Amino acid sequence: MQTSILSFGKRTLRALTRQKAVIAIIAMLILMLFFKTNFYTSYNLLNVLKDAAVNEIIAFGVTLTVIAAGCDLSVGGVMCLSGITAIQMMNGGMSMWLAITLSILIGALIGFINGFFVVQQRTEAFIITLGMGMLLKGVCQQLTDAHPVSCTNMEFMKIANGKIGGVIPNLAVIMIVFGVLVYALLRYTSFGRNLYAIGGDYEVAKYSGINVVTTKWIAFVLSGAMTAIAGVLLSSKLNTGSSIYGDDTALMVNCGVVVGGTSFAGGVGGIPESFIGLMVLQLLTNCMNMLGIAPYLQQVAQGVVIVGIIWLDCFGRKRKREDV
Amino acid sequence: MTKRFDLKKFLLNYLVLVAIVLLVIITIIVEPKFLSGDNLTNIMRQFGPLSFVSLGMTFVIIGGFIDLSVGGLISLVAVVTVSLIDPLGQLNALIVGVLFGAFLGFLNSMVLISCGALTQAEALFITYGMSAVYSAVALIYTGGSTQHMSWLTTPQTIFTAIGSGTVGIFSVSFIIFLVCLLLLWIFHNKTYSGRSISYTGGNKVAAELSGIPIKRSVILIYTICGLMSAVGSIVLFSRITTAAPIIGKNYETNAILSVVVGGTTLKGGKGSVLRTVLGVLLITLMSNCMNLLGVSAYMQVVLKGAILVLAIWLDNRKEQ
Repeated sequence: MQTSILSFGKRTLRALTRQKAVIAIIAMLILMLFFKTNFYTSYNLLNVLKDAAVNEIIAFGVTLTVIAAGCDLSVGGVMCLSGITAIQMMNGGMSMWLAITLSILIGALIGFINGFFVVQQRTEAFIITLGMGMLLKGVCQQLTDAHPVSCTNMEFMKIANGKIGGVIPNLAVIMIVFGVLVYALLRYTSFGRNLYAIGGDYEVAKYSGINVVTTKWIAFVLSGAMTAIAGVLLSSKLNTGSSIYGDDTALMVNCGVVVGGTSFAGGVGGIPESFIGLMVLQLLTNCMNMLGIAPYLQQVAQGVVIVGIIWLDCFGRKRKREDV
Repeated sequence: MTKRFDLKKFLLNYLVLVAIVLLVIITIIVEPKFLSGDNLTNIMRQFGPLSFVSLGMTFVIIGGFIDLSVGGLISLVAVVTVSLIDPLGQLNALIVGVLFGAFLGFLNSMVLISCGALTQAEALFITYGMSAVYSAVALIYTGGSTQHMSWLTTPQTIFTAIGSGTVGIFSVSFIIFLVCLLLLWIFHNKTYSGRSISYTGGNKVAAELSGIPIKRSVILIYTICGLMSAVGSIVLFSRITTAAPIIGKNYETNAILSVVVGGTTLKGGKGSVLRTVLGVLLITLMSNCMNLLGVSAYMQVVLKGAILVLAIWLDNRKEQ
């Protein structure tokens, strides 16, 4: 028992130091010590978790597809759609939980369709999911006539905006629960281990007797479902569904996953990595808001950080290649 | 038996052409105005900006990379060029604008080469970050406001000609496009540098071992992409006579989609600028036909997305 905890600690430590993203987070935390802001208040730190929750939950799903050497750029559209359908069904008189369940099923269905194209038909994941995201945006506009729709059921709003014990935001708790669940799925089930094998080498995994098509397909279904959950949570947080949500989400989330260290080549990475990767982007926004930096400059900084971290990552790999 | 097989192969190979012909026939039957001279000139104008960007993007994709920075690049080139018309005069502003675009493309390639990024995914995220930087710089440069060409004091005859001039039934921008197409086709098929781009895309390791200058290929493809995006940007703001700092939004995805729909494979190595022209033509015609048929703007996005997914899927089946 103790050795397993020790080895877990060692593994975590190694995973942390290997990543540039962790260094970026530590640098930001240290930097904020020198400024007199409200950054180091429990309110703000909990707020960071709350704000990160939606993108983090999407990232947990996307990580599954990225580990299996795919990617999912349709998440922006799925997120938009699930929020809108949940609210419209509720406003149509359906009970809240049924509406939410159906919305999540719609997300899973879209994941299923993505999986059909990518896994069964072996299309390039990147381009087909990009097209799918575009299609879903159109569906969202058609459904809402491009107007935002707000929910009349006040219970819905409480899901994301409530606080457990009046302190910890529900969203943060939901995010952590999902994070642990997906981590366990990847780490302790044959499904999760098979995903790594498929990402590492598709053909080898196939000849080792892994049901590659089904396993990878399930990853896409899960990604769609998790994104739909995040979409419902976002709509609950704002009490509104709108077709303009999520224009940037797809690239931002996939970028965060890669910034964390999950490789697009597949077979490497995991939930802690993705969590950290997206946390870098969220913390950066929060720090800059605290320091009162103008929004356009914030965008520059975000771009520079993304380029910088991925540049360092590539550079490290290049040096390793040359050493061998 | 063999005859049927050939037909299937033909259909799969020239799917885009078949789709274009079907689309045109259906539209002509429902709405004969499609063939009027005005509408044809209109199509040529709509063909404008996206076609230039897609030409540049073709080389990036043939080289086995991807460039998401064109959206930000178009915005930045547009606002800089418009702001330079007054101090430099229109011809100089035009030249500086195009060269500026090429420089930004060169900058992308330098970032990629300096860290040894060789895969499409690495290029994807680095150029995405660059795009965020470019579009933010465009916003800072203008303070977020749109620049109107009618506010300028210098004459803008060149830009007016590019935007709305016609020679016969051909729009000026279409003629510029044909010239660019011809030059790029010759470059790709008849020069050593052009051919080495294809080899780079086919297999980077093999190309490097065979002595193909990969680094030069990377610099070339991104510089060409930047250059063509800058031309597209100039055509775009000349047409609408305003340069908003978000003018280039969504151009990167549309350009990638039209290149892929045209039949250039994302894996790299295979493809041609001529195929891209077909891809852009399909997308432009789709917009035009749906407008003529009175399809709602939201439904157009849905149909466009559906047809694109279908096209990519069928294109992929062809290869197997």
